[in-house]
Amino acid sequence: MPPFFYDKKTKMKLKSNTLSVKNFFGIILVLFISVLISDKVQNQSEVFYLSLWLGISFGIVLQRSRFCFYCLSRDFIEKRNAKGLLGIITSLVVGTLGYHIVFGAFLIEPIFPQLPPNAHISPVSFVLILGSFSFGFGMAIAGSCISAQLFRLGEGLVSSLFAFVGIIIGFILAFRIWNYFYLNIIYDAPVVWFPHHFGYTGSVVLQLTLMSVFAILLFKFHKKQKKEEISFWWKIKWPTYVGGILVGIIGMVAFFRITPLGVTAEIGNISRNTAEYFNIMPLRLEGFDTLRGCITVVKNVFWTNNGLFIFGLVLGSFAAAVFSEDFKIQIPSVHEVKNSFIGGLFMGFGSMIALGCTVGNLLSGIMAASLSGWIFLIFCALGLYLGWIIKNKIRAN
Amino acid sequence: MSLIKKVTILIVFLFTSQLALAKSSALVDTNWLAKNINNPKVSIIEVSVKPGVYERGHIQGAVNFKWHTDLVDTVSRDIISKDKLQNLLRKSGVNQDSTIVLYGDKNNWFAAWGAWVFDIYGIQNVKLLDGGRKKWEEEKRPLTPLATTVKAGNIELTKTNLGLRARLSDVVAVAKKESNIALVDIRSADEYQGKIFAPAGVPELSVRAGHIPGAVNISWGKAVNKDGTIKSADELKKIYAAAGIDGSKPIITYCRIGERSSHSWFVLKKVLGYDARNYDGSWTEYGNSVGNPIVNLAGTVWGKI
Repeated sequence: MPPFFYDKKTKMKLKSNTLSVKNFFGIILVLFISVLISDKVQNQSEVFYLSLWLGISFGIVLQRSRFCFYCLSRDFIEKRNAKGLLGIITSLVVGTLGYHIVFGAFLIEPIFPQLPPNAHISPVSFVLILGSFSFGFGMAIAGSCISAQLFRLGEGLVSSLFAFVGIIIGFILAFRIWNYFYLNIIYDAPVVWFPHHFGYTGSVVLQLTLMSVFAILLFKFHKKQKKEEISFWWKIKWPTYVGGILVGIIGMVAFFRITPLGVTAEIGNISRNTAEYFNIMPLRLEGFDTLRGCITVVKNVFWTNNGLFIFGLVLGSFAAAVFSEDFKIQIPSVHEVKNSFIGGLFMGFGSMIALGCTVGNLLSGIMAASLSGWIFLIFCALGLYLGWIIKNKIRAN
Repeated sequence: MSLIKKVTILIVFLFTSQLALAKSSALVDTNWLAKNINNPKVSIIEVSVKPGVYERGHIQGAVNFKWHTDLVDTVSRDIISKDKLQNLLRKSGVNQDSTIVLYGDKNNWFAAWGAWVFDIYGIQNVKLLDGGRKKWEEEKRPLTPLATTVKAGNIELTKTNLGLRARLSDVVAVAKKESNIALVDIRSADEYQGKIFAPAGVPELSVRAGHIPGAVNISWGKAVNKDGTIKSADELKKIYAAAGIDGSKPIITYCRIGERSSHSWFVLKKVLGYDARNYDGSWTEYGNSVGNPIVNLAGTVWGKI
């Protein structure tokens, strides 16, 4: 192994600096599955294979860098450790630059009302605020947001499954109320894309300025942390900023080749099919197809770009977790099951009406220079903080 | 035989055999387009309807026309006006002497709509890329995501030939047997028979199912080969003749919204040279019209439980 990983300061006597065969089990499984389904996914026009591999890469990056929006926020709230949140900002900086480079290829000039294809630029309204707040609240209760539930499922976290039951029910509740929200609120809501108002250069400057302000605030409140123990190189977590850079790059590639990053489209499909099975799906979701967001509702399940992306995400996380000996089947307590389910309800409801979660709205929305992404960030953070307070109060009792 | 005579015969032979080889002057194949991709006299226009398809990869130099907004007038349910189309074409770098090549996704349906509209406004040298976007992709030919920049063109639209367009009154006359026009319904057999109101996954925009009385059913797909290219003129003649369409009478094509029938219109008019018109109101207009008879073999009634 390269000496680069060896830290002399720790003076740790490593018994063995080699991996055993079992560390590679997940990677072998990923390769095996990808070969197994390659015939079915190697379809030129749908770029399924690329979706699968982007999902795998995303899963590996999330797992290795612990790119969990709630956990990183909690580190900041409880320990004043801002490193995680700074990592998220890093991903937004890289993603913003990447997206604007792609914008220039797709649309030479950002002239209203032209929008780059599929970018998550959604209407800004009270519904978005409500959805973001509900989502933030839910992720605090459940212990992690939807993308983190997915990668933690790959790490063997069984309670994730209960969160997904809640998320799907939350989605269906949101479907039931959607038409009211759309006709009364969303219909008139503005869609704000910064390049329309400031041009591409102005948009990049504005975005980077906002990110710098957030970064400076985070640095101001950051407290020096205790050094982490150094262990075997394959167990070392990647710093969040490394994860952030990679997430930004994956985000740009996904937007460029397929569609922006998001993890809720496939959940929307599953929820719709579930609702139809129980005969509780509204006949139509008004205005739904005309909006830009992360949620799509089509009949196909699994064999969609997003279905394979999510499948890849869990697989990638599993492979990375096994490799780094993080994989452990964790059986939840009744209390954890309850929290996961209730948090899932709020997250499902919130992400459906907000047309995306922390990935589809916060990451892909902000990278796309959409006001909706920033609004999601702010109200999701407030919801998260409230959820954290309530959860602590309950725990104290 | 003198040498001159021999050479003349040879030239005539070569010329006519070349003509016979080319299916139609209204079609270009992917090889031709690949060779002419940098030809300044060739303007390439993509008309795809799936969002993001053009942006993530189009044929080099192609500009993007959006069917839903660029080629139709959404307010009056009409084709785009002459002035607007002229502006759009000039902005896309089309000159008076340009050759326009249209292509798109969905079997060239919407590209064919473009060809039909261009024909109405008397635009010369309009070609359809045989096999469309699908064939180009299947042949693994290059695509680029870079937006196309062009110098403004000088094309001028002067003529408007509304004779290429059939209106409701024209097809009602056929339904009432007051007209000698042959009607071709190019939708699927299930739509023609009235079993379904619209193809799977497409909104039902008509309250009646079935077809216009007197129409024969020749589904658009019968005119294309497996790879999406249009069949040879001889094959096409046989297919249409089998349903009684031999070019002896004027023809009107229709479908649901007029896009698939543009494809069949193109085949009948541009490949076979028949006198064909497209009824763009199609089934969404006729099927919903009040007081006009339909034939519904399946007997479906909308809303009946």
